[in-house]
Amino acid sequence: MKKLLLASAAAALIGVLAPHAAMAQATVKPGSAVDMVLLPKFLGIAVFDQAHNGAEEAAKELKNSKKLQYLGPTPENSVAGQIEIVTNAATQGVGAIMISNNSGDQIVPAAKAAHAKGIKVVTWDSPIPSAEGEDVFVAQVDFAETGKVMADMALSILGAEGGSFAVLSASPDAANQNAWIAAMQTALKEPKYAKLKLAGIVYGNDQSETSYNQALALVDKYKDLKLIMAPTTVGIVSAAKAMQDENLCGKIKVSGLGLPSEMLAYTKNGCAPQFALWSFVDLGYLSYYTAYALATGAIKAEAGQSFKAGRMGTYTITKDPTRKEGLRILMGPFSKYDINNVEAAAK
Amino acid sequence: MRWLQRHIRPEQVREFSLLLLIVLAVLIFGSLIDGYYTSRTFNRIAASVAIITVVAVGQTLVVLTRGIDLSVGSIVGCTAYFAGAMIAAHKGMSPILAVLIAVALGTLMGAINGVLVAFGRVPPIIVTLGSLAIFRGILIDYSGAKTVTTDSLPSWLIDLPRLTFVTIGNLDIRAMFALAVAIVVLFQLGTSFLNAGRQFYAMGSNPDAAHLIGLPTRRIQFSAFVLSGALSGLAGFMFLARFGSITVEAARGLELQVVAAVVVGGVNIFGGSGTVVGAMLGAIMIGTLEQSLFRLQISEFWRDAILGLLILLAVASDAVILDRLRALWARTDLKLVSTAAPEAER
Amino acid sequence: MTLPPFLRRWETLLLAMLVLIAGANMAATPFYLGVGNIVNLFQLEIEKIIVALMMTLIIINGEIDLSVASVMGLAACVAAYLFHAGWPMPVALLAALASGALAGAINGFWTAYVGLPSLAVTLAGLIGYRGIARILVEDRAYGGFPDWFNALGQQPQFGPLTVSIVIFVVMFAIMAVVLHRSILGRLVYVMGNNLQAARYSGVRVKRVKLLLFIASGAIAALAGLLYAARLGSVRGDMAVGFELDIITIVLLGGVSIFGGSGNLLGVGLSILVILNLRNGMGLADITGNTQTSVIGALLILSVLLPNMAQAVHTKWKGRET
Repeated sequence: MKKLLLASAAAALIGVLAPHAAMAQATVKPGSAVDMVLLPKFLGIAVFDQAHNGAEEAAKELKNSKKLQYLGPTPENSVAGQIEIVTNAATQGVGAIMISNNSGDQIVPAAKAAHAKGIKVVTWDSPIPSAEGEDVFVAQVDFAETGKVMADMALSILGAEGGSFAVLSASPDAANQNAWIAAMQTALKEPKYAKLKLAGIVYGNDQSETSYNQALALVDKYKDLKLIMAPTTVGIVSAAKAMQDENLCGKIKVSGLGLPSEMLAYTKNGCAPQFALWSFVDLGYLSYYTAYALATGAIKAEAGQSFKAGRMGTYTITKDPTRKEGLRILMGPFSKYDINNVEAAAK
Repeated sequence: MRWLQRHIRPEQVREFSLLLLIVLAVLIFGSLIDGYYTSRTFNRIAASVAIITVVAVGQTLVVLTRGIDLSVGSIVGCTAYFAGAMIAAHKGMSPILAVLIAVALGTLMGAINGVLVAFGRVPPIIVTLGSLAIFRGILIDYSGAKTVTTDSLPSWLIDLPRLTFVTIGNLDIRAMFALAVAIVVLFQLGTSFLNAGRQFYAMGSNPDAAHLIGLPTRRIQFSAFVLSGALSGLAGFMFLARFGSITVEAARGLELQVVAAVVVGGVNIFGGSGTVVGAMLGAIMIGTLEQSLFRLQISEFWRDAILGLLILLAVASDAVILDRLRALWARTDLKLVSTAAPEAER
Repeated sequence: MTLPPFLRRWETLLLAMLVLIAGANMAATPFYLGVGNIVNLFQLEIEKIIVALMMTLIIINGEIDLSVASVMGLAACVAAYLFHAGWPMPVALLAALASGALAGAINGFWTAYVGLPSLAVTLAGLIGYRGIARILVEDRAYGGFPDWFNALGQQPQFGPLTVSIVIFVVMFAIMAVVLHRSILGRLVYVMGNNLQAARYSGVRVKRVKLLLFIASGAIAALAGLLYAARLGSVRGDMAVGFELDIITIVLLGGVSIFGGSGNLLGVGLSILVILNLRNGMGLADITGNTQTSVIGALLILSVLLPNMAQAVHTKWKGRET
């Protein structure tokens, strides 16, 4: 703790002495002892575990002597559980906490309380919508771009003649999915997507059973459906399995955001010709670097601050154009997968 | 009519009244939805009902003995996951061995519940509320958040949901639904005609009396939980085949659907009455409502409210019909007595 | 030899557990005893424990209310919806409380007057009331409530205590008096023990049951509003799944699921046991699913161990004679 204070005092001093230092690239010094907590939406989901691996990799590189705590709630208790973990972390006085927020603005009071105690609050994967109580959001991709990528995949699968498609989302309360779908709806207004018709949006609550049944229901409900777009790794697999089980892959395709290892079979048999995702390992790695840099005082949570995040190169904090308030670090890019590269990526 | 009344008890008409309600629901939905009467609708409902039905059979046995098994969702999730992981690791595994492993695992978990309830004397709701959390916790800790993925499973398993058992006209009866029906028939016959089966009813109607006349009440209770576990294990295998990708969250919350099926199916939650066929009809009723509501052109957000209302109406109308019938039976019984009595005097 | 009566009581067992857990927490983490932490420990589960008090009466009465968590969500959504439709916040809150009481009245009507099992009725309620909440808010999140409302759940108002905690304490006292010192309380026990007998001795069982369910709905609604105040924002999935935690608290408190027995002291101790256990494990960086598993195991063991002790004891006595 003392070390931490010294470091931040030093950083503040540098800030005073060299007014332009903020624009320069900060160096993240390894070896500080910072208690850090990585908080996924809930435990038991593959992509969050990949992010955990990435964070551990960063922790090793930065030689942080304090063990990274990977703590998550159970899914049926996600909101209350996340709030509990943030509150307890504040009580323990950790250095930084990294949240994949599943609670919308409901996490704000807890995050603010933690922030008021001097804890750095970094969000990743899913931000705090109002940005209150948050230092910076490590964005996997640009949320507006996600919408465009989904629209593009729909266009490329449905072709020039277009057709009707439906969205199978996670829960109606998932802030990031809702933002992506809204961005897609905005993108669809462009003339080149004029022939794509969004028939409806349904929710599978990130449960395989519900997603599977919802996918089948879409087929019954919309007679001319040609594509199901699922911006969730659970939904896309379930939808693909449902189409395969009903021998519908010739008629209705599946696309969206998926893990190559889970989607391999469906891309090979043509059920899901195209999908996209980003690297969750990198996201965890970058989030750790960001949180560590903030907690050791190497950077401040201000637009224009930049630092070198190990093997991933240099990143800069900017204003988040997809939220009214708030700062972000944009990771990117999207990886698009199809029959040509899915096998290599699934390894 | 009188012959009917003498040979059938009102409780047996209950299944019939539920069947009528299902037919009514189908007719109403048929008039609301274009192209409702197709083999596809049948398949949707049959497929969604198959897994719930198998678990509901076991639940019925437990409820008959005045118990409840809330851990079934966790058992289904655990068996689906572990069987999937095992099959993925040994692709050459024979299908029969795979099913046996799933059932054995379910049986073991059911036996743990059973021992605690029957021999530890802990109330069923407490045991299974606890094991609901414990089994799921073990799964999450053990699995390391890995997902069983479809491409790691052999094709016989992936294709199982599409396997057709028999085709009648243009109706395909899929193997999984046929299996569920076979289990219902088996257990219906077992609970109606076998001594061991009748004991579930005896124990549930009056545990003290059952004990006094020398029935092994503890063993009956134990075997109800073991069977519930075993059937949940089988359902876990079916779950694996149907959904392919199994996360550690698989089948979370299934217990509520199963309890709803059993309750709507007219199994008395305080034990002693109800049938396995009733539980299946309850599952079909809810499955029909749910799958049909999916297809109505109404907003996503209205579905749960309507489903809740319909379940309430199903339970209520069932109870009201049953009350009427009881009253009818009682009245004619009284008449029989009053006309018979003077004859005896003469 | 027999154990003295107070040692055989459930509450003694819970008290021993509590002392053990508090001791372990003190040894394990220096943060446990801070005032802030003790307040947080209640704050984090305050809505559940408020509902658990009323659930105690319902279960002693021989019924169950599975719809409480959905009613919590419904009330929060009603208040948020009306507030954003331009209603003044106090009126919106009253309407939300009324919606909870109405939901409870519907449960009570079907259970008491039509005679359906409460498990079935409130299971339908669990699905249905959540559905109505969903219709109101759909996929939106409502925030921006007046500061005084958010302060109810977030800011300390009475020394270090929040309004929610004070409401809990007051309600605990009221419930204790109602259950253990009033005629209504006697009726709750009598009906839970033997409904037929109560009916034949002239108790208006239907009216009492209806009243209990209305109270359960209204209190769940109040808890839902406090939850909204604590989080400062409302969504359709508020309090999903809370019913199992609430019922666990009541059952660990020694209330029989078959009705007729149990008391509020036990439930109070059970609340303290579970809250301290969760807090201690949270501070020791033990994750949610392990916490739930441990509480599950505790629930089973708390009944199993005394039973086994009793069995061993009886066997010993058998040998002596």
